[in-house]
Amino acid sequence: MSIPRRTIWLLLLGYLLAVLINLHHIALWCLPLALGAAIWRARVAQPLTSGKSRRWLRVGIVVLLTLAVLIAFHTLNGVQAGATLLVCMGALKLSETTARRDWYFIISASLFLLLASCLDGQALWRLPLYAAELYLICVALYALSAAPANPTPNALFRQTGKGLLTALPFALLLFLFVPRLSGSFWAVPRDDQAVTGLTDQMDPGAISQLAESNAPAARVRFVGSIPPVEQRYWRGFVLHSFDGRAWRRGMPRRETAGSLTVGGQAYSYEISMEPAPYPVLLALDLPDAPPADVDAARMTDDNVVWRSGGENASVRYHLSSHPEHRNDAPLSDTDRERDLDHYASNRNPRSIELAQALRAQSASDADFVQRSLDYLRRGGFRYTLQPPTLKRDSIDDLLFNTREGFCGHYASAFALLMRAGGVPARVVTGYFGGVWNRYGNYLLLRQSDAHAWTEVWLDGIGWQRVDPTAVVSPTQLTESAASLAGDGSTVPFIVRIEWIHDLTQAWQAANAWWQDEFVGFDSSKQERLLGWLGFKQDVTRALTFLLVASSVLWLAIVAWVLRPRAQRQQSDAVRRSWLMVERKFRQAAPARAAHEGVLDYAERVGRTRPEFASVILALARRYAQLRYGPAAEARDAELFHRAARQLRVVARRD
Amino acid sequence: MASSRPFRFVSELRAAFAERVRRWARKRQGDDSLPLTLEARRVYILPTRLGVAAAVLLFVMLLAGLNYENSLALMLCFLLSGLTLVSMHECHRTLAGMGVTEARGESAFAQHDGCLQLTFTNGRTIARTALEIRYEDCQSTLFSLEPAAVLPVRPVYRLGRRGRHRIERLQVWTEAPLGLFRAWSWLYLPLDVMVYPAPAGNAPLPGGHGRPRSESRVSVAGGDQEWAWLRPFQESDSPRSVAWKAYARGAPLMVAHYQTAAGAERLLDFDALTGLGTEQRLSQLTRWVLECERRLERYALRLPSRSLKAGLGPAHRRQCLEALAMYDL
Repeated sequence: MSIPRRTIWLLLLGYLLAVLINLHHIALWCLPLALGAAIWRARVAQPLTSGKSRRWLRVGIVVLLTLAVLIAFHTLNGVQAGATLLVCMGALKLSETTARRDWYFIISASLFLLLASCLDGQALWRLPLYAAELYLICVALYALSAAPANPTPNALFRQTGKGLLTALPFALLLFLFVPRLSGSFWAVPRDDQAVTGLTDQMDPGAISQLAESNAPAARVRFVGSIPPVEQRYWRGFVLHSFDGRAWRRGMPRRETAGSLTVGGQAYSYEISMEPAPYPVLLALDLPDAPPADVDAARMTDDNVVWRSGGENASVRYHLSSHPEHRNDAPLSDTDRERDLDHYASNRNPRSIELAQALRAQSASDADFVQRSLDYLRRGGFRYTLQPPTLKRDSIDDLLFNTREGFCGHYASAFALLMRAGGVPARVVTGYFGGVWNRYGNYLLLRQSDAHAWTEVWLDGIGWQRVDPTAVVSPTQLTESAASLAGDGSTVPFIVRIEWIHDLTQAWQAANAWWQDEFVGFDSSKQERLLGWLGFKQDVTRALTFLLVASSVLWLAIVAWVLRPRAQRQQSDAVRRSWLMVERKFRQAAPARAAHEGVLDYAERVGRTRPEFASVILALARRYAQLRYGPAAEARDAELFHRAARQLRVVARRD
Repeated sequence: MASSRPFRFVSELRAAFAERVRRWARKRQGDDSLPLTLEARRVYILPTRLGVAAAVLLFVMLLAGLNYENSLALMLCFLLSGLTLVSMHECHRTLAGMGVTEARGESAFAQHDGCLQLTFTNGRTIARTALEIRYEDCQSTLFSLEPAAVLPVRPVYRLGRRGRHRIERLQVWTEAPLGLFRAWSWLYLPLDVMVYPAPAGNAPLPGGHGRPRSESRVSVAGGDQEWAWLRPFQESDSPRSVAWKAYARGAPLMVAHYQTAAGAERLLDFDALTGLGTEQRLSQLTRWVLECERRLERYALRLPSRSLKAGLGPAHRRQCLEALAMYDL
């Protein structure tokens, strides 16, 4: 059994591409191994034959490679280690592939590598890559199965394309109707790739890192009305504890919310959050209740929504919020004490002095807030994402020395001023604004939309949002707000060109659709689909029914499409001409019987009408030649037709 | 040996089951007559060992996709499943609708390969590839049919015993296009073959009667010689016996045989072979017939039941061999 060279190249190419699309997560040292093995196999006609000594060598290499993978990943479980191991074993197998069976192993390895890559990278841009690789592997599979025959690449690609296209509807049906499990039955280690996003700690600089990233953080779809730009504060963490430099979450919070009175316009929306490092769920200021569609979601009394676990996984949920709210109840003593604490390590003395001076001039808490904001507005402060490094007393340095910073700095400074002046205050981190995508009708929050602001407690009103950055640099927020039109300050210039901007938006919308509808197709989406199809009661039964019915339908269609079709008469014209000849002889001799061959018929006619014997025999021979001989040209058929037309059969004169 | 027993039990069970299926199929479709079309209902299909392995692989993929709740992995698994099913259809289609227009068997010697001649037709627009046909356990013959093709195929057969036999059942199958499924059909064609005794034995040729023939006589052209037939040239033939005139006209190398009225004759006598069993005698006689044919010497055959006059050439050879094949049957 010899396998054609071209087929071997296809197989090697399929394997190599499978390795390449796994490059993002495998150990890189196995790339030269795979490459070397493939090149070597492409060059040699006959690989190493397996002898007994070779076998032991091979076992040794297998053990060595397994150890290497173990050292690289500390496990053999999981996608990364598994993919690396597969690459190694594939490369090793290449050294002894001779029989068709060995090559089937290479194809399986390539397919599993493709699977591993799918498990880890589901981004839309990878899809063409996966499609190409699948196509290539299938072409190789067809070629291998055809061996030792060597079909042309053209025929192979066409056949494979046809097969895959026919399989596609079936795959879609299975995709929609195969019951999805919620939760996995075999725990695999999630890969701890660094996920950017908000953290439960804010030190100067934390936000500026995020501001450089254009990666999406979340997408929001509104049901009904959309909040105005100035109300698009997306709440993440509330930070209570300050150590003079960084803000932290502080002690765990109670779950009961205070006696909040909400009013005004309510907004309900669906958020799809990208994987984030911490289990907080973004919500529009202020959420009413934890989402019902996330398991064990809860809301703490500082109006932060949490999920239990599930970090590093995307999540989608429904919420409703009221931007207007008030709280008549007094602040509890423990809370007041915590949110007034500003003496940590006795740092920032000048800021505290300033706050106390401002407080002395103020008539009320609200007045004090206003005066402090005025100070920030008039103090010559500047907004920048590249502020100078601050000294130990960071707030003092910022307020009296550098006067440069961004939202994190000003929120931090303002909260400290408030606390020093006797007004409970806390820092909130989250996102502000967002880009409206008109193709997808959703609001895109990017990491660069990350923002920090403060909340102060005013008796009788409750926690009130104050955004000092808006005071320091009104343009920063308007620019951020201008990001509704597509460009935040961090968006590169090129995106401001209109058609590129349009393209970007369309691409983002396609990505969003991909993430929501395809990657995020889960049991709940499936249930919704069933509801839409009219199956509301028994999900499992409905799915079974749909699965069986649609599969049978597909199989029937495929059977019909692929049914063997009768050969179309290619030389119809020739046949017509011959039938004309037969018609002309109808008077002269009995018609040709169904079982009678053309030549037999001609001989018979020749016997009854000897004067026509040579003519009819010549015509019959020519006909047989045109019909059954090597491919005739159109001109031959035409000449035959002319001869048939010119034939005159005269009645015998007896 | 003990370890092989359960294995043998399984294979015996399998063979018995396969036999039962064959009998069922036989009863279902009856005898075939020509021309014959392999309709879909008599084409059977089952996954091959590779197909079962592919199913396991797809199942593992499904588990991985479900476990990781990964839509892309599931889609990959489903696409490949779809492709597998498409290949099943294609496999079945490769066989269904194929036609057999002609079938006959050529004679052979017992325990030697003989040839059957079948003519397959493809009246469809698809190419039928990787077709194989086989009689029982003999070597299978590989062929493929282009659209609208008419193709003679010569599968081999081998039978152990002399006589007239009916080639009971031919299996024609294909594993195209992916090797995951095997579609097959059984042909119960009216294929009768004559099986001659296997040539064997090393007894010397019995002496000739009349003048011994010499090689040179063949080449002597004379009025008394009667041109008889041409046969393909063999390595052992003398160049002088080649029909050069025919060769000059473009025919392949042939050896002209001439029949002389007064040639040497050998009598191949069944009863003269003493000390041997019947089958051994028949085998020896068969060898002698072939030997005489090779030497271009006239021979007569005498069996207890029947005598054949001296002669030479294909017709005489066939007569003698058939007499040997059918002796005492």
